[in-house]
Amino acid sequence: MNATFTLLEMRRITRDWAGMFFTAVLPAFFYLIFGSTVDAKGADIGNGNVAMYVMISMAAYGAVTATTSIGGNAAVERVQGWGRQLGLTPLADSSYIAMKALIAITVAAVPILLTFVLGALTGAKGSALAWALSAALVLVGSSVFALYGLLIGTAFRSEAAVGAAAGTLVIFAFLGNLFIPLSGALLSFAKLTPLYGYAALARYPLTEGYLPDGSRDPLWLPVTNVTVWAVVFGVLATVLVRRGRERQ
Amino acid sequence: MNTLTTSTTSTRATSSGAGASGAPAIELRGLVKTFRPQRGSHDTEVRAVDGIDLRIEPGEVVAFLGPNGAGKTTTLDMVLGLTDPTSGTAEVFGSRPRDAVVAGTVSAVLQTGGLLRDLTVRETVRMIASTYAAHSPVDEVIDRAGLTALAGRRVSKCSGGEQQRLRFALALLPDPRLLVLDEPTAGMDVTARRDFWDTMHADASAGRTVVFATHYLEEADAFADRIVLVAGGRIVADGTTAEIRSRASGRTVSVTLPDHALADAVARLRTTDGVRAVEERGARVVVTAGDSDAVARLLLVQLGGTDLEIVTAGLEEAFMALTGDSRDLLPDDQLHHHDEELVR
Repeated sequence: MNATFTLLEMRRITRDWAGMFFTAVLPAFFYLIFGSTVDAKGADIGNGNVAMYVMISMAAYGAVTATTSIGGNAAVERVQGWGRQLGLTPLADSSYIAMKALIAITVAAVPILLTFVLGALTGAKGSALAWALSAALVLVGSSVFALYGLLIGTAFRSEAAVGAAAGTLVIFAFLGNLFIPLSGALLSFAKLTPLYGYAALARYPLTEGYLPDGSRDPLWLPVTNVTVWAVVFGVLATVLVRRGRERQ
Repeated sequence: MNTLTTSTTSTRATSSGAGASGAPAIELRGLVKTFRPQRGSHDTEVRAVDGIDLRIEPGEVVAFLGPNGAGKTTTLDMVLGLTDPTSGTAEVFGSRPRDAVVAGTVSAVLQTGGLLRDLTVRETVRMIASTYAAHSPVDEVIDRAGLTALAGRRVSKCSGGEQQRLRFALALLPDPRLLVLDEPTAGMDVTARRDFWDTMHADASAGRTVVFATHYLEEADAFADRIVLVAGGRIVADGTTAEIRSRASGRTVSVTLPDHALADAVARLRTTDGVRAVEERGARVVVTAGDSDAVARLLLVQLGGTDLEIVTAGLEEAFMALTGDSRDLLPDDQLHHHDEELVR
């Protein structure tokens, strides 16, 4: 691990004001709109209330936005020649990946922290265990979407594609039951989409699997969803990175 | 006008890590690199490098000269451990290329691309410096690359020439014994190119081995002691600058031949001693030869030629004859149109 390198990478991210807005400020803003101002915010859900439910959802949305763009931009930088420049230094691929992962986790922590602090100030209620576990699950689970960004960045080789990948997260977030409660056939389909498992898992300490429509997801469902998507993103990213290397 | 100070001496401690003393700076044996065709295309396998044997001694300044697609970049990539050879071996000071890179024995200035646009010049140098266990001081390499005045500027706001000087600063960080420059002035205007080579000249006194790829003849001629001419993935000529120049001492003889005798005449010329190249241009035939008098006599007396002209060949003609590719001898501005698009 290389402190200078990591800190300079962090400085690059703090320079990107637009990126920081979408990553950190927008989810917190969404929480204020969808969570803290609705009439039902005090209604009980599992080990807490609706405000907390929305808070976790928005933190998850912010965290995956962060990891998707960091993973994607890392891939684009590498294919656009920075990888060759780094190839001329003693820096090992494994150290580079470790540093980028640390940065992704750090940046993903920003919207989580911001949303959770706002939540605490505006009436989100839950057991202490639910607060701690859901924060940890949001943070750790967001790493799966670094792979998603990595694979999009490697496949399309442009910053625009990474921006689009972060944009598709809005659609996944709707299908992931993050913005509005889904029901019926749409909900059944939504359970197969990539953000559903992650969000459901992050909310599990709060909801114990109960959904706003009264039905219940058994724990294996979000766990399977996250695992399958992690494998899909991981395998695709590996294949694309290998193919990119062969072409050089 | 060169804004550089002369290079200061700095420790060589970082560069003595890899390789036995007395080993050649670069040793390539039977080097081959093939690329598989793109999926779905009917192309056959591409042999980018087709059997290169080369030995470069410490302290030499060598130009890799050849047209686009000659295999220069691929060869240098293997010297730098960025690509593995399909067969054959590449050694740098007796070590595997990647080990030499890790030890800081070799570094390189690559072609355009590959800098982070949102960092400043100084931050970029600091970032790359942090990957080395030991390196020259950051401000010293910035000074030697003539970037002191630009140190706080964002990379995105630097011109192509300034970015190339930044890559040069990065390459100086490990104080390498071997410096590889891959088309270092591609896409630069005339002034930027001259500035860049002034910087290199100032640094050459340090006695390091320098290998650079170029398709500018004048660059190879002005800066290298030795020229390795590459075409079609092979070395077609290798010698001191003077030796390569002497190849150009031949002359070209052009003549108009009668239509009915053209094919026979060309066939006969091709088998004549001392004739290096025969090219048909409509009714005219252009012959490159060492003994132009003999060729002229043959053309006028025996082959019925008219309108004979004799021109002394330059380095460019020798280059053309040796590489067999005239497309890449367009004027510089046309030649580099493509490269400039890549700079953005």
